[in-house]
Amino acid sequence: MTGLPVPPEHRVLLEGVGVRDVKSLAGYRTRRGYEGLARALKMAPAEVTAEVARANVRGRGGAGFPAGRKWGFVPKGSGKPVYLACNADESEPGTFKDRQIMELVPHLLIEGCLVACRAIGAKVGYIYVRGEYPLSIRVLEEALEEARAANLVGKGILGSDFDCDLWVHTGAGAYICGEETGLLSSLEGGRGYPRIKPPFPAIEGLWRCPTIINNVETLACAAVVLRDGADAFLKMGTPDTPGTRIYGVSGHVERPGWFEFETSVTLRQLIAAAGGVWKGRALKAVIPGGSSVPVLGAREIDVACDFGSVAKAGSLMGSAGVIVMDETTCMVDALLNLMEFYHHESCGQCTPCREGTGWLAKLVRRIEEGGGRPGDVDLLASVAEAVGGAAAGKTICFLADSAVMPTRSFVQKFRPEFEAHVAGGGCPSRKAAVHA
Amino acid sequence: MPRVTIDGREVEVPPGTTVLEAARGLGKDVPHYCWHPGLSVAGNCRICLVEVQGMRGTQISCNLPCADGMVVQTGSEAARRARADVMELLLINHPLDCPICDQAGECKLQEYSFELGAGASRFDVPKNHKRKRVEFSDRVVFDAERCIVCTRCVRFTQEITGNGELTVVARGDRCEIDTAPGKTMTGNYQMNVIDICPVGALTSADFRFRSRVWFMEQKRTVCSSCSRGCNVLAGTRWNRVLRLVPAENLHVNRWWMCDRGRLEIRDPAAPDRLASARLLRDGRPADADAGEVLAAVAGALRDAKAEGGAGLFGLVSARLTTEECWLARRLLRGFAGSPNLDWKPRALEADGFLMTADGNPNAAGARAAGIAPSAGGFGLDGFRAAAESGRVRWAVLVGEDLDDRPEDLAVLGRIPFVALIGARESATAGRAVAVLPGATWAEKDGTLVNGEGRVQRVRAVVRGPGAARPESRILLDLLAAVGAPGVPAPGASAGAVFKAMAAEVPGFEGMTLAGLGDLGLPLGSRAAAGAKA
Repeated sequence: MTGLPVPPEHRVLLEGVGVRDVKSLAGYRTRRGYEGLARALKMAPAEVTAEVARANVRGRGGAGFPAGRKWGFVPKGSGKPVYLACNADESEPGTFKDRQIMELVPHLLIEGCLVACRAIGAKVGYIYVRGEYPLSIRVLEEALEEARAANLVGKGILGSDFDCDLWVHTGAGAYICGEETGLLSSLEGGRGYPRIKPPFPAIEGLWRCPTIINNVETLACAAVVLRDGADAFLKMGTPDTPGTRIYGVSGHVERPGWFEFETSVTLRQLIAAAGGVWKGRALKAVIPGGSSVPVLGAREIDVACDFGSVAKAGSLMGSAGVIVMDETTCMVDALLNLMEFYHHESCGQCTPCREGTGWLAKLVRRIEEGGGRPGDVDLLASVAEAVGGAAAGKTICFLADSAVMPTRSFVQKFRPEFEAHVAGGGCPSRKAAVHA
Repeated sequence: MPRVTIDGREVEVPPGTTVLEAARGLGKDVPHYCWHPGLSVAGNCRICLVEVQGMRGTQISCNLPCADGMVVQTGSEAARRARADVMELLLINHPLDCPICDQAGECKLQEYSFELGAGASRFDVPKNHKRKRVEFSDRVVFDAERCIVCTRCVRFTQEITGNGELTVVARGDRCEIDTAPGKTMTGNYQMNVIDICPVGALTSADFRFRSRVWFMEQKRTVCSSCSRGCNVLAGTRWNRVLRLVPAENLHVNRWWMCDRGRLEIRDPAAPDRLASARLLRDGRPADADAGEVLAAVAGALRDAKAEGGAGLFGLVSARLTTEECWLARRLLRGFAGSPNLDWKPRALEADGFLMTADGNPNAAGARAAGIAPSAGGFGLDGFRAAAESGRVRWAVLVGEDLDDRPEDLAVLGRIPFVALIGARESATAGRAVAVLPGATWAEKDGTLVNGEGRVQRVRAVVRGPGAARPESRILLDLLAAVGAPGVPAPGASAGAVFKAMAAEVPGFEGMTLAGLGDLGLPLGSRAAAGAKA
């Protein structure tokens, strides 16, 4: 991996971070902070939506849905209040991008929220922050205080007729509350149960009122679009996914961490940017978009990190949490780790997910720990198909699919390793560790 | 109004109708666990999956609104496969303890397994274990291992009783239904969660392990514990009522009934039942031949008639059927000429939901049948004064006693001839000259009129003990014995008695017993049809 030309990072969202103060309001203003909001306040709400739609800001939470189009779903004249819910419940394993925005440039998120509220006609926005992020919560709260004092949040913002309050709400540790409708249930004080659709949140969301839910990074992009204009945004990244993304590279690399690149960066370049695979070892596999997505093999990494290209390669760019696994990784053990996570986090509402995630975890554990029986690998693959998930219409949300997709791809791409576990009575690397 | 095609049949439905509801309208019951017509849609069990043309994968029909032009396949290969997958997953951790489960025989898991299940299980890892025999109250017992977390019970407490006593705790395949720590279920409607539980997770402390349901006979009848007239299914075996569960009637009780109604089932063979006819001999009650007692009562009624009837008091229970009230009126007023007829009120505390303030199930029927004092006569309130003055020489109590009215009971001794026709032993019966054993609500066919004026059928589901017979039979015999004209002959069918009653009693015009159907009819609703006929 050494010697690969790594393009320079292009810091737009995280511009100035580590170089000068961009965290305080004064510091944020040195990067033309809140100019996007000022511009949005001079535009009609529909024009703000149109600008974000034209910039094709795709949802950075993982689904890649165009934010501008989503904002357009808010019904006109429903007579009900409209809400913004910012999804800052960043809990997808391998993902740590939103916290960089919240902790390093909190005003960028606040500005993004205000721009969105202006566009959709919301007077109240909630930022639902993962409870395990105490620093993010504290920094955001402090930034909100600053913004309130500077009349950037509250009544008559910047002398306009725009009133908007933003509140930080703290999660309590459930992965499922990062699912957008589970987040709404939790915000209302209920169990974090994802909701059946229809009704869709844009029509009936929080307290049965029209609600738009956007990821932190998506809203940050919206602030940048309003500041620089859609044309400038469209010049960055690929036509499929304009702009930059904050990629989190973790696992078996020399220098794990976050990197902001235009979306044209390839997976191979990202790994190089993180110092390459550690200890001089060879690459075995990469999960490109957070733990829920199909795994890619070492030969599948020459792919641009935008939504379309990674989808074409058979995986998903998701939340841009890039998990790197070296040649010594036991893929059965890695899958077991994932299955235990999804089993633990299933909310338990839908039959296939509630029962199926547990079955998958038990099967993988049996194979890993030496109890595998002939036919277990086929059984594992077949159970995964029975659990199906939202794409098959079997569940309310995508959590079941998040267990199914890795299972399917791990078995498909690393089947001999699974078979060897069954035939050899368990994990060879575990045995090696015991005998060493 | 959207038109949809379900399994090749086109149907127009009101906007907002779901595919599952539209299919039910066509007589197709799409499998479902969590969906219940009386509760909000949860969409969690996933067994109601159907295939919709132009939509990816399968869709839950319970939450899919019908759209114009929609083409739905409820039984396509994809839908069946998806449902079979869900069915398999529902059972992997289920204890499969059907042989000892009360729900067996009426369990939706069994029903859909029969339809969709594989013969063998692929699940060869250890099952999860959860709490068993959890007492949610002294009436409701929970088995978490059988539970499929459909949340019908949770939604019932949130949406119907509003007390929110049940909730889901924990996550994933560890989740269970529970009450708040240290709390139990309360109130008069707890047991409905047992009925709506589609599996054997919620069982009745009262009915638990008492009978395999398939050995019971289940008949539709009406609860007699207040004037609501909740429709029920009475489950019987060994000539005993083992269980009452609500039967759907959207005009009356929807899908629910109160616990009081179901727990007041008293065994028809209970020790306090009157099982033989009696006559007072030398001041002591002694068993007698029913024919002899009938003749004694008939003789007393002839005597009363001979004196104009003013000395006869008739107390006719508003727990009796309308037909019985009518026959009693024909006997006591029509034949014997008594102006002194009445029924005894029974006050309850209405609970704001189903239970009414009137503990008589048929006060409306008694009123319609003319059980009330006529001009110059007295009712229950005037009875004591009349008895004390010696004006009352004969008293006939039909289906009723005075045990709860000690002052009235005390004056019975002043009346030379007291006859009681009733089901249960009482102090009143102990003072009667003649006693004929009657029947409980569970032993007779006929009609009750509920507090809202709906005429509904009760059905005999068990037989009374010994010589006990429905009051209608006894009254028909008495009417024949005294030679009263214009009434059905002894042994007439329930339908014939109803027909004769309907011809005379206002509000019943044009009705037949069979024509009441399962749901009953409002008083007066067939008047026009009757006029035409």
